[in-house]
Amino acid sequence: MSVNDEPLLHAQDLVRRYAMRRGMFGRPAEVRAVDGVSLTLRRGQTLGLVGESGCGKSTTGRMVLGLEVPDSGGVAFANERMPAPGTPAWRRLRARMAMVYQDPLGALDRRLDIGTQVAEPLEIHGIGTRADRPVRVTALLRSVGLRPDHARSFPHELSGGQRQRAVLARALATSPDLLVCDEPISALDVSIQAQVMNLLAEVQARTGVAMLFISHDLRAVRQMSHRVAVMYLGRVVEEGEPDDVLHAPAHPYAQALVSAIPHPGRRGGRIVLKGDPPNPAARPPGCAFHPRCALAAALCAREVPVLKPRASDRRLVACHVAQGEVAPGAGLPQPAMEAA
Amino acid sequence: MSDVSFDAAAAVSAPRTRRRARLPVPVVLALGWLALMLLVAVAADLLSPFPYTALDLRNRLSPPVGMGGAWLHALGTDELGRDVLSRLITSIRMSLLIAFGATAISAVLGVTLGFLAAHFRGLVEQAVLALVDFQAAMPFLILALAVLAFFGNSLPLFICLLGLNGWERYARIARGLAVSAGSQGYAAAVKGLGASPWRVYGRHVLPNIASTLIVSMTLAFPEIILLESGLSFLGLGVQPPMTSLGNMVGYGREYLTRAPWILLAPSSVIVLTTLSVSLVGDWLRDRLDPTLR
Amino acid sequence: MLRFLGLRLARALLTLVLVVTFAFVVLRLSGDPALLILSADAPPEAVAAFRQAWGLNDPIWQQYLRYFAAIFRGDLGQSMRDGRPAVELVAERIPATLALTLPALLMKLGIGIPAGIYAALHRNSFADRAVMLLAVAGFTVPSFVLGLVLVLVFAVQLGWLPSGGQENWRHAVLPVLTLGIGGAAVLARFTRSAMLEVLGQPYMRTALAKGVPWARAVRRHGLPNAAIPTVTIVGFMVGSLLAGAVVVESVFSWPGVGRLLVVAVANRDLAVVQCILLLVATTMVSANLVVDLLYGVLDPRLRAAPREATA
Repeated sequence: MSVNDEPLLHAQDLVRRYAMRRGMFGRPAEVRAVDGVSLTLRRGQTLGLVGESGCGKSTTGRMVLGLEVPDSGGVAFANERMPAPGTPAWRRLRARMAMVYQDPLGALDRRLDIGTQVAEPLEIHGIGTRADRPVRVTALLRSVGLRPDHARSFPHELSGGQRQRAVLARALATSPDLLVCDEPISALDVSIQAQVMNLLAEVQARTGVAMLFISHDLRAVRQMSHRVAVMYLGRVVEEGEPDDVLHAPAHPYAQALVSAIPHPGRRGGRIVLKGDPPNPAARPPGCAFHPRCALAAALCAREVPVLKPRASDRRLVACHVAQGEVAPGAGLPQPAMEAA
Repeated sequence: MSDVSFDAAAAVSAPRTRRRARLPVPVVLALGWLALMLLVAVAADLLSPFPYTALDLRNRLSPPVGMGGAWLHALGTDELGRDVLSRLITSIRMSLLIAFGATAISAVLGVTLGFLAAHFRGLVEQAVLALVDFQAAMPFLILALAVLAFFGNSLPLFICLLGLNGWERYARIARGLAVSAGSQGYAAAVKGLGASPWRVYGRHVLPNIASTLIVSMTLAFPEIILLESGLSFLGLGVQPPMTSLGNMVGYGREYLTRAPWILLAPSSVIVLTTLSVSLVGDWLRDRLDPTLR
Repeated sequence: MLRFLGLRLARALLTLVLVVTFAFVVLRLSGDPALLILSADAPPEAVAAFRQAWGLNDPIWQQYLRYFAAIFRGDLGQSMRDGRPAVELVAERIPATLALTLPALLMKLGIGIPAGIYAALHRNSFADRAVMLLAVAGFTVPSFVLGLVLVLVFAVQLGWLPSGGQENWRHAVLPVLTLGIGGAAVLARFTRSAMLEVLGQPYMRTALAKGVPWARAVRRHGLPNAAIPTVTIVGFMVGSLLAGAVVVESVFSWPGVGRLLVVAVANRDLAVVQCILLLVATTMVSANLVVDLLYGVLDPRLRAAPREATA
């Protein structure tokens, strides 16, 4: 095993709970935003994290970066434990990992010009001298497709795509090993989305940065990622190669997600999820997806399925039905029909 | 570099400049009055015709010009023949010094506590909020009187004491804005880059909330002037031989029937100054920060 | 609702504890109580005896607890001037202060609130501008200036009313006017902006669009909603019934609590100052408690999220 094959990042059984009170009479309820997520990311690779809003994918991203501390489980970055937030070691580590945000305008300080903000990580981490910073800033701006004179612009003077490029330039200033992109394109125009995705791919090819690409858009994730993990209510329910997951999703939830992608030439066959959107405060027993699952059987309401390789193709999937542990039912709460 | 950013700034403020051309008349007058007061305060020594303690025993209680007085003492003299105009000029300097000092102290104190609450959350935040409630619940004049009773009086203590007035408003604003900037947005982003709290609050959060703070300072300024003059009027603020506007009114009260000018001159300065600052503050609030109240 | 009540009560008590602690800390910081009370040139034996008698040699936390216990018993020490209990001295001044502040409060409510509502409903009219001008003037003219000007006009020039003292109701007219005009101005300004805010709300526009008559929409939707912020400031005014007349009582030589406070401060009569401080704090905290409860009645939303109301 060469050095490059060692995982850059390994997250083990991350759990993040929030206390939530409903109304003033309600007892504090525990919300498990993330409930036992494990991820591995290799250098130069991209892991896509897909799921609907509220499934815990952003919280996972923040824990991976060490911005938030998991209630249990842990993150190892380059074989070292993540230090506690705010400590000098943690602060030094910020130079090696960075974040790209959904809302680039909110992530930029609107009172400082772009050049100052791109130079800020260099100042914070004492990289280079004051004199050569303008040169570095110019190079960074060029590398993300901005003009050098954009350094003197203020965030509100740029377009959405340009702002996201500026955020990326700032993130890349310290030549990080890991980039967490949290919905980096969902606030952008459709016409701009492809440009930003191409830019991210190009940056990865040039710098070898590893990426955790978080999105609700399965197609964007497929285009960007070397592996894909599908999350539902705080858990990874399926993980595999992007093409495999997209062409032959194993988990019923992944199947529903894939079928929701508009596809020219395909008619019908779209799986419409029934039931309420998931509520992390009222997690159903057993498989969290079972109330909305068309294939749920009685076992699904009782026992939590484990994420493990499927016998047929080693695909990681957490589903009793897909694992062949139970025959597909006709969904609950309708009486389950046990077919032979 | 500077020319381009200047152009950019000019381009942004271009629509504002057009509106600024139609400055409301009362605001112009108020700004003029405040400029005059600042000038008087700065150049007090050059402007006053006499030393403010100089006695002129031949011209005691001489009325001002317009009430039968001579130009020698344009605003008249008091019981000891001290020139009212000179005393007024010195008092303006003293009252403005106290008001500026106290406003600065309360802003610094409030912003610091607000940032501490926002940064540490938990117990620190609860403690700051309890102090804020306490401060907001007690009439400040009573607290100030109690402190003066216990500690006695001196000018630095008096300024610091007035600096405790209204800090809770800055603390609320600073905490609220810092919390919202820190949970998402630029402050969180800069923190994620590895910036120290000093950098996050000093370089990013503070400049972003500065306009809101300046507006609140303007709105609090008249309050400080009124508080200072009230305490000095009661004889518990600025002590003779120093003099302030409230002090002059308190002294002039004894001569209300015989020499009302002693009292009327500082009274009108107090009223005009607080009125001007209020007008400018309201206007600034509407212009810069409609979210306040 | 019980939880809400309990939370409010706890906060009120916390504020009172803070005031007592403040008084204790400031008292101890201000110098040796023995020397302060016995005067600096007292013989050393007398000082030692005093320290022994008052437990000043005990650890500070014991003194603190004893201080609390004494306050709980209503024992607030004796006035240094005539040796009478401070509580008694303060209590006998309360009626005189209320004789000024209660009529003034009625005047503030009776003028300030209608004027504010009228100005809001006739926005930008001549009346609105006049009310606002008067309101700003009322806010920026300090009460001692207003009081002295009233004296100058009505007592000195016209000779209609006495300029100070407390003999019959005529003596109360000028101080009540001074207090009332300033407060009415503040209240009018506040009511107007609260009312304007409410008038701009979607539910008002909806009511009008549905064809509800203007006057009825204002009565049904406007006034109750505008009352919520106004209650706060009225609560503050009620809370300062005992403390709000310090300056005015001094201007008119009115023998109330405020005058007593000023004299006590000038003489450093600490027991009396501390007694008034606690009295004012208790009134203020009680008034705030009532306001909080009224909030609960007026605005059901706040019951659900009590923290939001103050944060």
